Order: sequence, then C-alpha cells, then structure tokens
Amino acid sequence: MFIGLFTTSKHLTRRHVTIQYPTERWTMPERSRGIVVLLSDKETGELNCTTCLLCQRTCPSAAITIEYEKDEKNKRHLKDFIVNNAICCYCGMCEEACNFAAIKLATKYEFSTLNRDDLIWHKDKLQEVGRNVPYTPKPKKKPAPKRPAPEPADKPDENKSAAAAAPQSDKPRNPDTVTDTTEAPAAPTEKTTVNPDAVSGTDPDKTPEKPDDPSGARSDKNDEPEPGREAS
Amino acid sequence: MEIAGIFKYLFERLEATGLGQPWVDLISLVAAAVIVFGFLSVVALFLVWLERKVSAHYQQRLGPMRTGWHGWLQTIADAVKLLQKEDIIPSTADRPVYFWAPIIAFVAAFAVYVVMPFGDGLIVSDLNIGILFILAITTFTIISLLMAGWGSNNKYALMGGMRSAAQVVSYEVPMVISVLAVIVFAGSLSMVDIVESQAKIYQWYIFRVPFGPIAFIMYIIAATAETNRTPFDLPEAEQELIAGFNIEYSGMKFAMFFLAEFVNMFTVSAIGATIFLGGWQGPWLPSWVWFLVKTMALVFVFMAFRWTYPRLRVDHLMEFAWKYLIPLGFANLILAGLMKSSGWFNW
Amino acid sequence: MSKGLRTEEFTINMGPVHPSTHGVCRFLLTMDGEVVVKAEPVIGYLHRALEKICENRTYAQCIPVMDRFEYCTSMSCNMVLALAVEKMAKIEVPERAEYLRVIMLELNRIASHLIWFGTTALDLGAITPFLYGFREREDILDLFEMTCGQRLTYNYIRIGGVAKDIPPEFTPKLKKFLDIIDGKIDDYEKVLTYNPIFITRNKDIGILTPEMALGYGVSGPALRASGVKFDLRRDDPYSIYDRFKFNIPIGQNGDCYDRYQVRMQEMRESAEIVRQALAQLPEGDIMGRVSRAFKAPACEIYSRIENSRGEMGVYVQSDGKSKKPLRLKMRGGSYNQLQVMPELIKGLKVADVVAVMASLDIIMPEVDR
Repeated sequence: MFIGLFTTSKHLTRRHVTIQYPTERWTMPERSRGIVVLLSDKETGELNCTTCLLCQRTCPSAAITIEYEKDEKNKRHLKDFIVNNAICCYCGMCEEACNFAAIKLATKYEFSTLNRDDLIWHKDKLQEVGRNVPYTPKPKKKPAPKRPAPEPADKPDENKSAAAAAPQSDKPRNPDTVTDTTEAPAAPTEKTTVNPDAVSGTDPDKTPEKPDDPSGARSDKNDEPEPGREAS
Repeated sequence: MEIAGIFKYLFERLEATGLGQPWVDLISLVAAAVIVFGFLSVVALFLVWLERKVSAHYQQRLGPMRTGWHGWLQTIADAVKLLQKEDIIPSTADRPVYFWAPIIAFVAAFAVYVVMPFGDGLIVSDLNIGILFILAITTFTIISLLMAGWGSNNKYALMGGMRSAAQVVSYEVPMVISVLAVIVFAGSLSMVDIVESQAKIYQWYIFRVPFGPIAFIMYIIAATAETNRTPFDLPEAEQELIAGFNIEYSGMKFAMFFLAEFVNMFTVSAIGATIFLGGWQGPWLPSWVWFLVKTMALVFVFMAFRWTYPRLRVDHLMEFAWKYLIPLGFANLILAGLMKSSGWFNW
Repeated sequence: MSKGLRTEEFTINMGPVHPSTHGVCRFLLTMDGEVVVKAEPVIGYLHRALEKICENRTYAQCIPVMDRFEYCTSMSCNMVLALAVEKMAKIEVPERAEYLRVIMLELNRIASHLIWFGTTALDLGAITPFLYGFREREDILDLFEMTCGQRLTYNYIRIGGVAKDIPPEFTPKLKKFLDIIDGKIDDYEKVLTYNPIFITRNKDIGILTPEMALGYGVSGPALRASGVKFDLRRDDPYSIYDRFKFNIPIGQNGDCYDRYQVRMQEMRESAEIVRQALAQLPEGDIMGRVSRAFKAPACEIYSRIENSRGEMGVYVQSDGKSKKPLRLKMRGGSYNQLQVMPELIKGLKVADVVAVMASLDIIMPEVDR
C-alpha cells in the first residue's frame, strides 16, 4: 500500500508536463496535418494550381469542390476552389495526389468559428492563409523520353503507352495487351500515393502526369464524372 | 500575537459595558459563531483550491492558474458560478426532505467547532464531554445523506444514499473505539484536557507504542470513510453512480454539500491532530499556528489517499469494517486499558 | 435473497451517457438490491455506417475511412485493409515498409494499452494512473505526429507500403522512449498491481472460462488471460512477425486481474518487438508498385491481424469490375467481448460491472462501426 503512495508522491517533485495553452503553444512538427491551404508561387504570387482535379477525385470525404471553366483550347482555368472544412477529415490525400505543390495541409489548427458556413473556405481565403506556409516546390517535369521499360520479353507491347498516363481499366490504350491487374503493376502505371519525399521518383520509368488527363483515383461521389473517358 | 489575549480583552470590555449577563452571553456567542463560521468558510474555500492544486501536482500538471496568482481565486469563481445556477427541484421529489438535507449536512459540519481547540485558550466552549459531543454531532451527517437520497426520487440517489448510510454507520464504531483508547489514557473527555496531557512530544498519543500508532491508523481509515473520501467514496462514486446521492442537486444546495464535505475533512483532521498529534502544543510558534500546521498535515495525508488508491466496493468496505477494524479496535482498547492500569509506558 | 422478506427487482439503465462505459454503450441492468440478475446491452449509438461508406470509395480512399473504425488503434485498421488488398491484387511490399509497419503497429498497441490502463484505473477510482498513462502516450503520439502528421487517425499504412518515411529525428526520440517505458510500466505496477484494494476489486471477478471464451469468439488478451494460448502473430503470422522473438503472456484464471496482468506484460513485449525491429530496419523503398486505380480481381478475402483488443479482420468482396469494393465487412474484437459480458456479470454487483467492462477493454467504435 505504501509503495503506491511513495510512487505517486514522487511526482510531486517533478516538473509539470503540461503547458498553459493560449499563452504557450507547442511547435507543431512540419508534417502535422492541419487545415488545407492553397500554395502560391513564391515569386509571382499566383496559385500553383493547374486545375487537374486530382485532389477533388482523391478526397475520400468529397470536401473539395473545384469550379472551373474551359477556354477555347479546352484547357481548364480555375474559377473557384472550395474546401469544406467541416467535412474534411484531414487525411492528407489531396496533398499527396497533387503533383504541382498546389495544395497542402498546413500546420495551423486554430480555425474554429461560431457558424458552420464560415468553415467553407473559398479560393481567396485558402490562398491568403497559405501565403506564408513553407513548402518545397515540385520541379516541372519534362516528359520522359519514350523508351521501353525493363519488362519481361513476353510482353513487349505493354509499354507503348509510356507517354500516356495510367492505363484505363476497361479500355487499355494498347489494344494488344490486357492489363491484368492481378500481376505486379507494370511500368507505366503510377503509384497510388505520390511520395513527396521522393519527388524525383525511385521509379525511373514513372511517366509524368499530364495535367489535362485526369485519370486516376476515382472519386467517391456518384455525380462526379467518370475519369478519363469524358474529359477533354 | 496572542489571539486569546485579544478575545479576553474584548470580552472584558463587553462585560464592562454593563448590559446585563444574558445580553453579554448572547452577544459573545453570536460573535463567536460569526468568527468561527467566517474562519471555516475561508478554510473550506482554501481547501477546495488546495485539493485541486495537490491533485494536479500529483498528476504532473498545474491545476488552476489563471484566476489570480496560481488560481487562488478559483474557488470564489466556482462559488459565484454555483450561486448563479438555477435551483432545479425535480417535480417528483419530496420537497421538505429534499430542501432540508443540505442544510442539515451544513449545520452538522459546522456545529462540531463549538468544542474544537484552535489554540491555547481559543475554544468556544470547553465542554467537559468534548469528544463525546463531537462524535455525536458527526453522526448527523447520516441523516442528511439519507434524506438527500430519498428526497431526490432517483434510483441512483437512493442507492447512493443507502450505501453511504451503511458506510458511515459502520465506520462510526472503529472511529469511536480508536478515540476511546486515547481517552482511556487521558482520563477525560474534555478536548483541552486531552491536549494538555500531551505536553511533550514524546507524550503525543501517536507515539505511545503500541496502541498509539494502531489507534491512529484506525482513526485515519475510519475518518476517510466518515467523510466519504476515496478509497471509501462509494456514495459519490462518479464512475458508477454518477455522483450518488447528490445527483439531483444543483446550484447553492450542491455547493452546501460540497463545502460541507470539505469542512468535514478539516474537522476530522483537526480532531486527529488534537487527539493524536498534540493539538496546539509546540515550541516557538503561536499555538494556533501549530494547530493549523498539524491539521494541514493530516489534510494532506487524506488528499494523498484520494489520489492514489482505487475505490473499495461496498461489501468489501463493510467486511473490512466489521470483520477487521472492529476486533482490532477492541483489542487495542483492551491493550490501552491494561497499559494505563498497570502503569507501563506511562510517561 | 432472504427468506420471508420480499424484495423486488428493479431495472436500472446504465445509460449511453455514462462516465465509464467506454463510449456510448447502454446496459439495462435488472438488479436485485446490489446484485445484477440480468443484463442487456443496447448498442448502435455510435453507428456511422462505415461499411456502407466504404462501398463507395476506392480501396485507397477506404484507408482513411478504416482509420475511424477503431480510432484507438488506427494503424491496425489501416493495416488489415492493406493486407487484404495486397493479397487480392498480389502487391509486394518492400522490406523497409514492412519494418516500419511493424514498428508503428506495436507502438500503437502500447498506446492503446495505455488508454486501457488509464481508463481501468479511472473506473476503479484511482484517478492518477490515468494521467500517468496519458503522459507516456503523449510521447508515442509525438512520434506518430512527426512521421505522418496526425495523432489519432493516421492514414499511414497504405496499400503497398507506408505513406511517408520516418524523419531523422524519429529514431533518437524512439530510442529515448524505449529506454523509459519499462521503468514507467514498473511505476504503474507499483501503484496498482500490488495494491490490496485493487486486487480485491479484480481477483475472481468476471471469470471467463476458456470454453465460454472460445464459444463466444473472444480473442486477444481476454482470451489469453483465460489460458488459451492463441496469438495471431504467432499462430497465423502476417507481415514479418515471424522474424521477431517475443513472449506471449498467458493467464490462468481468466478473471479481471489476469487480464490486467496480461496486458501490462504485453506492453513490455511490444516494446521489445519495437527494439528488435528498429535494430533490423533496412534501407530501401517505402512503397511498392501499385497502380493508381487498380482493380482487384473478383474474389472474396478475409484478412485478420492481432489487434490490442482481439482479432481485427476485414472481409472484402470485390466483383472485379470496379475500383471500389463490393462489400467490406469489418470485424472487431470488442463486439464479441460485449456479447460475453452479460454472462460474466450475472451475480456481480454494480461496481463489478464497471470493473469487468474495463478489463475486457471494450470500446464502442469497434462494436458499432
């Protein structure tokens, strides 16, 4: 009985492990996932976003809504970028999906409001909050030269679409091969999650992401258009 | 600074005004009541703050820090908050019973201080049945607990009330027996006599082996059970019964129960200090300072128990009291009697 | 029950909002005085339709959803789905990723057991060990935060590997933590394990016989405390658990005290596994080759891992045509343990109901999904 008393009494002499919150704050680790912000170019101050819509498709909670308009060349221009912070689950998948370092989960965590509608942030607020968030910009990738990937000899045709994006599931670009997903994925495929630490990629055959080709992660919303087929 | 001297002087001035004996008595009693009540309120507030700080430091955190320097105004803020709360009375509650329960608890907690020796000569009334009076008054709290449990018309409250009644009644017996061992030695029931028989430090009853320490430990255990503190706080077990008998109380009534609990803790510590630790005896410092120091030491022991030990279940509690403490207490009492009559250790 | 004195039974509702029901669980207790005669759990207060949500998400998007299945051991939830999908699509996971997964899983097990420890002590009335457990948990959560950015729902173990590599400051901090954790567990034991009050509250309470446990499908530390030597890390090894040497604590009586001791010992064993994994950690990739939107072939697969609360499993059914699972069923250990509770608490007192629930380590998100 007394050993327990001594053990707890020992703590009376120890320093407290808590901090007085509003006056003192912890410094958050750099990878800490706080709110979603939009990043701007350090020199020009414009948004890095190229409206590739990947983040919208990757988000598991459908918290991102991107409004865009297409110009005469069928290229997308960003009209408004809406993030619903009430629905966002702070998983970070949008940040990982983005290839242009346009969206990031900053370390800020104090953004409570009294009104639920105030939690829906638009492009201006996202850009303003993200102005001073440090980030490593992703270099603009040049298209990889067309060369065959080191695949086994019995499937020589599989890599003809090296310049293209991921193979479409039911309509492979290359009609000669059937992309059999039961085997290990072949070279021109992309990773499900982009590893920001290995931006240059450990996969030498990784093809660049064309901004206009929104293949990839399927969105969860039923009203989200099918990727690939209808776009552009 | 001799407080006793100041009171004596004031009393003489009052007598000299020539109002007549009944008036003098009345005024002095009212004054004494007000002074004691004021002192105890301050003590209760201080103890609430101290409990929070001690618990925080046991858990390696800081406790209240914002309201005043290190949060000393926290209790006052809490009291103001409780005063503002709506006084909710359940519609099916038994109104007179519900209303009087906290008041009785409060009164019982404060009435004990009539015979408490705060220092040399600082006692409101030195009854020659001092300790018996105290033990009798502390049983009043049982009535209030039962009333609270019944009057709230709530199953949880009823269970809490009945458990606590069982507990307090059971632990009265070891408390009385442990105090009896000391009384046998002191030869008198009066509080002042008990203190004066411990004039030297080696005469303190806690040191009079072998019955002293046993009686002291029994007293501490019984006192924790009397005041419903962990490890015996089943009546207010938050985790099981959601605050037991005071579920339905809000606002000022709850504040009364709450303060009564802390005043009770101070009471049993004060009695323990008086009986076992020599009361207000001590060198150099004024007597009331020694009284406070010793009482606070025991208060601290109670707090340490609260923040270290888990809770006892109700049947373990009763078993412990009736099967272990009471036989031990009787054995202790017989031993004390033998020691006194044979003259051993009778320094 | 005394003869000649007619006593009535009354029903008490240990309601969904209760300080010690570990989430929102409701019990309808029919009691005779202090003794429980019948107990009926009512669940569903925390149902979030996670399985249905997963039917509309791709496999990669299911990982954050699985996080919330059992948020105290979120890494295990990620892992079990990743294992299922990797088996279905035959994806290879690099070595470094496997080791990192094991480290994270075992750290998460320690964190979860620390929550259990804190809440058990709290339910029995000792408030201080709760704070001590959480103080250690802060260290683990800091480690997680510096790696993946979150403290509770990590989204770290992905299909094909792990999301991010550990930063350079991870290893020294982890080593420091591993150095102190054994001493801290000793401290906790000093406060609780040999305390007579704690022992009387827990010994011979809620005895779970091995037959009852196997019949109800109880798994994890509750099963091991009853004497059944079954641990998925040893008996059905997944990932690289066959490379580590660790003991599996087994109890004898199956009462609350044994379950407590089994879990305290498991914390130490987990720390040992983390030490071994850290020593053997190789360099390399952290993510295997996974296509961005792969489709699993039409099959059904059940994968399971040893979670801190029992066997956690996920049953994935895929139809081969879409990128989303057809049906995903989650299996959590707490559900079975909640089923066995009414049996265990018959004849016990109200105070013991709380003790039994705490020792079985039931948390409601696993039960309700």
